[in-house]
Amino acid sequence: MKRLLLLLSLMLPIVAFADETCMSPYMAKITGQEDFVYVWTLGVEGLGDEQDKLVTISVNPNTETYGKIINSISVGGRNEAHHSGLTDDRRYLWASGLDTSKIFIFDIHTDPAKPRLHKTIDDFVSKSGGVVGPHTSYALPGRMMITGLSNNMDHGGPTGMVEYTNAGDYIGTYWMPRDGSLNGATKSGKFAGGYGYDLRAIPRHNIMVTSSFTGWNNYMMNLGAMMASPEAMAQFGNTVVIWDLHARKPKKILDVPGAPLEIRCAWGAKNDYCFTTTALTSEIWLIYEDENSQWQSKKVADIGDASKLPLPVDISISADDNILWVDTWNDGMVRLFDISDPHHPVQVSEQKIGEQVNMVSQSWDGERIYFTSSLLSNWDKKESTGADLQYFKIYDFDGKNLKHKLTIDFVAEKLGYPHQMRFGAYSLYGMNQPVKNLLASRPNSR
Amino acid sequence: VRSFAVLVLLVSFNAFPAQHHQSESFVLAPGYGDLEFVLPGPGTYRLPVLGTAEDALVVNSLDQELSLHSLMASRFTLLSFIYTNCSDVNGCPVATYVMGRIQDRLKGDDALKETVRLVSFSFDPENDTAEVLQQYASNFRNPGSDWHFVTSRIPEELKKILSDYDQFVILDIDENGKLLGSISHMLRVYLIDHNFKIRNIYSVSFLHPDTVINDIKTIMLDRAHNYLKTQKQDQ
Repeated sequence: MKRLLLLLSLMLPIVAFADETCMSPYMAKITGQEDFVYVWTLGVEGLGDEQDKLVTISVNPNTETYGKIINSISVGGRNEAHHSGLTDDRRYLWASGLDTSKIFIFDIHTDPAKPRLHKTIDDFVSKSGGVVGPHTSYALPGRMMITGLSNNMDHGGPTGMVEYTNAGDYIGTYWMPRDGSLNGATKSGKFAGGYGYDLRAIPRHNIMVTSSFTGWNNYMMNLGAMMASPEAMAQFGNTVVIWDLHARKPKKILDVPGAPLEIRCAWGAKNDYCFTTTALTSEIWLIYEDENSQWQSKKVADIGDASKLPLPVDISISADDNILWVDTWNDGMVRLFDISDPHHPVQVSEQKIGEQVNMVSQSWDGERIYFTSSLLSNWDKKESTGADLQYFKIYDFDGKNLKHKLTIDFVAEKLGYPHQMRFGAYSLYGMNQPVKNLLASRPNSR
Repeated sequence: VRSFAVLVLLVSFNAFPAQHHQSESFVLAPGYGDLEFVLPGPGTYRLPVLGTAEDALVVNSLDQELSLHSLMASRFTLLSFIYTNCSDVNGCPVATYVMGRIQDRLKGDDALKETVRLVSFSFDPENDTAEVLQQYASNFRNPGSDWHFVTSRIPEELKKILSDYDQFVILDIDENGKLLGSISHMLRVYLIDHNFKIRNIYSVSFLHPDTVINDIKTIMLDRAHNYLKTQKQDQ
């Protein structure tokens, strides 16, 4: 059956399906079965070629290659591979390195089963005027907005966003507002540290929302050493910033103490809110527009026992805006929250995924949930307990329970530590079968 | 706001069934209604150059060959990529609808009406003949309006235009690889300045007449500011 493909740049509730979560809404969507998961993987000394790499996993159960690694493309070194994002037309995957600040642009449309390195941006820091640590790659029309985590002055937290064309040409830099340099933003609470992390946009309200983590000095430090250092632990972001999307200017700084990381905005056309979770305080926060059309932030739920530092990492919202998956890295758990009342999320279940868990991605229909394990090279747990330390896992979700289907041990496969996942499908590119078959059968023109 | 009848006309113009999924919860793109927010004032923000609007050989709805740059010369150009059989109300029709709204707005704006040109480029030359383009245009273009409907009949030229403007176009197929007649694409509308530079790119979620006109005014103010700066430096 032909997959339903929406090649629309919309933030409209076109269909009542769950979303292929967590990406920019202005891009092509896979609404049926995804064929591939592209895993941006951290190179590790002593494992395989020790390089960062983009690993392609076949995930269509109707293929003979289901659950197998069908491609791996290394990028020539280690860069602290971390996050990745797709362009609005979904032809290219931008994957960045937090340490070297390089951005690798992969062509994933010519042959979706075999991505190839198309271009490398290696002057991110100089072009941007000092932004370090490219993190989120977020698609805007014909453009990519990249959030930074740090700067080249002191390698601390103050940072900015950097905009590129889809071709990889630099457009501009937008510094996060901070005390002494608010850039016209209103400081609504106690904090204005200038930190950055994730980014989402709601064009119907002309806003961007950014969150805040920590700088290079911390994210490249050994986790134990950092946590033992009061000075280092004081260098985390405590804000979410609301931006004028069209003007690219900060409007309001909201207090969200404890390093708010991933941002996931609701999909409903009238649901004017986003969620984030705080890494250090283990809370769910709601970023919402109030009855006076003012954007506000408030804590709406706890995640586990904060005293045990579960460390919330990736989150994933369903497209009906009813459930939120929350991974906690330290205890390797995923928790499912009912967010049908966004002001009062309720945890409905929890399940152990591995020794540690970081990223979670769900299919458009919400029936398949994917997990990977790695957080940062110097933070990841090192005591190997087998396949549950550095893995890629597939689960089925029936609306209540997660059922494990498959695990790939990235250490045993000598690949490295798996991080961000993005989905691929032949249907996105007008293909209904592998490229090698199409070359022999596809009509040239209409 | 133009009448809903125009919208119906836009959607019903084609003879092909909808390929994009629609449902009861379907919501019209912002371009069909009023903006839900107040835009930043003209001139209070920057619109950096996003690239060069490359030249190409095109043919208009009178079957006349001309270059894209000749259409773009000495004015702002709003360039959309469409095909007339597009049945997705939030696809090509919204681009044409918004351009129609801009056309109406320009008519009453002395400062802008001589400085903006609308160009709708079809990437489906096989169907969008000069006659089809002419008929399509007649449904939406006001008499005397500076709105051009063009395509390219040279395959290599069409391929180059789509590449130059980063337009990924897919001829939809069924499970047997048979062409369905519809075309999937990511709607992009380009705002191009007097120097053939792309200053903004709008997709469905962003395309709105208020935004486009705001952006044009911003570039005009930027040009005026730069001119005054140059004059000052010369003195």
